Amino acid sequence: MTTNHRARRWAATGAGLALALSLAACGGNVGGGSGGGDGSEYPNGPIKILVGADPGGSTDLIARAAADGASDELGVAVTVENKPGANGALSLQELANEDPDGQTLAIFNGSLAYITPFAVSEDEAVSIEDYEVVTGLSLDDYVLVTAPKSGFKTVKDLAAAGRPINFGTTGVGTGSQLSQELLFAQAGIKATSVPFDGGSPTLTAVLGGQVDVGSIQLGEAIEQIEAGELTPIVTFAEKRPSYLADTPTAVEAGYDVPVQQARAIVAPKGTPDDVISTLEDAFTKTFETDAYKKFNEDNQLTPWEVSGDEVTETYTGNLEKYRAVIDEHGIKLGEGA
Amino acid sequence: MDFAPVLHGFSVVVEPTNLLYCLIGVVIGMLVGVLPGLGPAATIAILLPITFGIEPVTAIIMLAGIFYGAQYGGTITSVLLRLPGEASSVVTVFDGFALARQGKAGTALGIAAIGSFIGGTVSIVALTLVAPFVAGFALDFGPPEYTALALLGILLVATVGGGSRTKAVVAACIGLLLATVGRDTFTGAERFTFHNLNLGDGLDFVPIAMGLFGLGEILYNLEERHNAVKAPSTVANVWPSRADLRQSSGAIGRGSVLGFLLGILPGGGATIASLVAYAVEKRRAKNPERFGKGAVEGVAAPETANNAAATSSFIPLLTLGIPANATMAVIYGALLIQGVSVGPRLVTDEPDLFWGVVNSMYIGNILLLIMSIPLVGLFVKILRVRPAILAPITVLITLIGVYTVNNSVFDIGLVIVFGAVGYLMKKLGFEPGPLVLAFVLGSLLEDSLRRSLLIFDGDPTGFLSRPISGTLLLIFLLVILLPIITPTLARRRAPRRETTPSATKELV
Repeated sequence: MTTNHRARRWAATGAGLALALSLAACGGNVGGGSGGGDGSEYPNGPIKILVGADPGGSTDLIARAAADGASDELGVAVTVENKPGANGALSLQELANEDPDGQTLAIFNGSLAYITPFAVSEDEAVSIEDYEVVTGLSLDDYVLVTAPKSGFKTVKDLAAAGRPINFGTTGVGTGSQLSQELLFAQAGIKATSVPFDGGSPTLTAVLGGQVDVGSIQLGEAIEQIEAGELTPIVTFAEKRPSYLADTPTAVEAGYDVPVQQARAIVAPKGTPDDVISTLEDAFTKTFETDAYKKFNEDNQLTPWEVSGDEVTETYTGNLEKYRAVIDEHGIKLGEGA
Repeated sequence: MDFAPVLHGFSVVVEPTNLLYCLIGVVIGMLVGVLPGLGPAATIAILLPITFGIEPVTAIIMLAGIFYGAQYGGTITSVLLRLPGEASSVVTVFDGFALARQGKAGTALGIAAIGSFIGGTVSIVALTLVAPFVAGFALDFGPPEYTALALLGILLVATVGGGSRTKAVVAACIGLLLATVGRDTFTGAERFTFHNLNLGDGLDFVPIAMGLFGLGEILYNLEERHNAVKAPSTVANVWPSRADLRQSSGAIGRGSVLGFLLGILPGGGATIASLVAYAVEKRRAKNPERFGKGAVEGVAAPETANNAAATSSFIPLLTLGIPANATMAVIYGALLIQGVSVGPRLVTDEPDLFWGVVNSMYIGNILLLIMSIPLVGLFVKILRVRPAILAPITVLITLIGVYTVNNSVFDIGLVIVFGAVGYLMKKLGFEPGPLVLAFVLGSLLEDSLRRSLLIFDGDPTGFLSRPISGTLLLIFLLVILLPIITPTLARRRAPRRETTPSATKELV
C-alpha cells in the first residue's frame, strides 16, 4: 500500500497536475499483471480484492497487507479496490456478480454476517453461505472505555451509578452497539444507546464526557488508553488480547458477551476448489512472513488464520448465538430489520 | 500557548512538494479569479479527485491556495476591465475601474495587492492565536453544542448571504431534504433509498458539490455570451504613492479586522466581508461622494477584507469541523476523501496538517503579491481562452474525477443529475451555495439533535442549561429578531441607507 501511494505521490509531484489527474483517474489499479498465464492456469492475470470501506480504515489496511504478501506468493499483481457503501454490503453484492474464477475476491467483515442483520433491512443483510471462503484473517477487539473523570472503573461501578448510563456506539448494527447492549442487558443496567458516525467521533464524545462510556475498536483507542486519557473497563474478547493484558474481559467480569470483529477473504460462489486452495496457500504463506506479523501487532489485531469452513461455522454460529441472547433480553438494535 | 507545533508547521510547508503545490494552488486561484463565472468553489470541486493520491496536508495547501488566490485574481479584471472575476471583487469595480480610467490602474492594483497581503497576513496571525484557543474548548463541544451551531449556521447561510433571501431559504430547505436520504443513523431504517444499496449511506457530498458547482457552472457559463474582451487599460506604475498609502492605511486596518471577524461567521466569507468593508469606509469618509469616482479606500477596504475573510473562514472548519461557507464545504469534502476525521480533535491529532496548511498561507500570500504586481498582463490574457475549448475539458475532468473517488459509476450519474439541477438553479436565480451548506449541516443538525435528546432523556431544556449551547441559541434568537428590530431603530434615526450592490453572484 505504502509503495503504491508513494509512487503515485512522487509521480504527481514530478509532472504536476496533468499527470496527477491521469493517475488519479487510474484509481487504485496501479500495476499490471507481471505473471499471467495461458488461460487454464491459475492465477490468470492480476487479482483484485474488493474492500467495502474507505481507504485508510482497518479493513482497507488489512486487505492491503494481505494483498502485498499474496502478490509475492502468486507472482501476479494483487490490487485492492475500495467500494465503500452499506457497511460493505455493496462490495459483496458486486463480488457476487463477478465470474467465479478467483480473479476477484473481497473482504467479508464478520459484523456484516452476524450483527448488521439485526439492525437493517433484508436488502442490506449478507449471508456468508453465498460465498466461498478462502481464509480467515484476524480479529479486532472492542474495549469499553470511559473518561477518567467519570470515576467508573468496573461494570459494577456502572451498575451502582444509580442513574441511567449513556453509551456511545460507533453506529447502528455494529459490534460496538451489540457488545454494550448485551452487557448492559445482562448486568441489568438501564442504559441509553447514543449512536455516532464511526470510531473517531465516539472516542471524542467519551473523552469529552458527552457520553458515560463507549465501546471502541482497540486500535482506535489504544493511544488514549496508554496516555491515561481513557480508562478501559472491559474488553469484549473471548480471552484477554495481548495488547491490553491488564484489562479483564467481559466474560471474566461475569457476563457472557464476547463480541469481536472477524475478517475473512471470500470468492464468488462456485469458484473451483483448486483455485481456492491455491489462494489459501498463498495467504497462509503471507501470514507467516515477518512483515505481516508485524502489521498485525502494530494494529492490535489478533491473528485468526483459520480455514474457510471454520469461518463459515463461526459466522453462522455467532448469528444464531446473538439471536438467542437478543430475543431473550428483548434487545432491539435497529428498526430496519 | 505552545509554539512548537506552529514552528514544526513551517518545516512541513518548506518541503519541496508542499511548496510546489502551494504555488500550483495560488496560480490556479489567480487564473479562476481572473476568469469570470468559474469561482473557487467550483474549481475546488472539480479538482477534488486530484487530491486523492496526494498527502492530506499537501492537498489542502493546494486547495486553500486556490481559495485565497482567487481573491487576488478577482481584483485584476475588476480594475482593468470593469469585469469582476469573483463575487467578492464586485465592489472593487466601482472605484477600481474609475481609477483605471484616470490612468491610475497601477495604483489601484498596487493598493489592492498590498491590502490583500496585509489582510491575509493579519488574518493568519489571528488564526494562529485563536484556533488553538477554540480547539481547547473542543471537547466541551458535544451533541447539544453542535445542534445549536448547525442551527445557527443554516440560519445565517439562508439570511446573511447575498441575493434573494427567499430563494436562499428555498435552496437551503432542499439541501436539508437531500440530507435525509439514506439509512437512518439511529434506527437503521431506510429513508428514500428505493432499495438501492448505492443510496444506503445517503447521497455523497462530493458528487453533489461537483455537480452543482462544477458542472452546473460550466453549463451556465456556456450559455452566457461573453462580449469580446476590451483592451485592458495600460498598467503604468504599480507602486502606489506615499499619499495613496497614507490615505488607504486606515481602510486596510479596518478591512483586516472586519474581514477576519466576518470570515469566521457561518454563512459569512469573502463576499460579505468585501461589501461590509466598502460600506463602512463610505460611511466613515468625510466626503463620501468621492466613492465611485476613484477613491483609493474604495479599492483597499474590500480587497483587504475579502482576503482576511478567506483566511479566517478556515477557523470553524479546522477547529470544529463546521464549514462556514460553500468553499469550505468543498474543502471539507476534500478532507473526507483523505480520510481525515474532521472535528474538534484535528488541531491536536493532526498538528502537521493544521499548522502546515495555516503556515502555507504566509508563503502563498507572498507568492501572490509577487505574481499580482509584475504578472498582471499575463493573467489578463487568460480571458482570451474561449469557453468552447475550456468547457469540454473541464466536463471531462469532472466526470473522470468523480468516478475515481469511490470507483462508482453511480456517482457519475449523480454528478450529471446535480449538474442539471445546478444549471437550472442558476438560470432561475437560485444560489447553489445555501443548498450545499444546508446539505452538509443538515445531517449534522439532525444527528446532533437526536443524540442530544437521547443524552437529555428527551428533555429539550437541556440545551439551555449548558453554557455554550445556551449562548449559541441566544445568538440564534438575536439573528432572527434583528431584521425585525433594525428597521424600527433605523426609522427612528432616519439615517442614509447604504445601497449594497445587488450584483453579488455567489456566496463564496
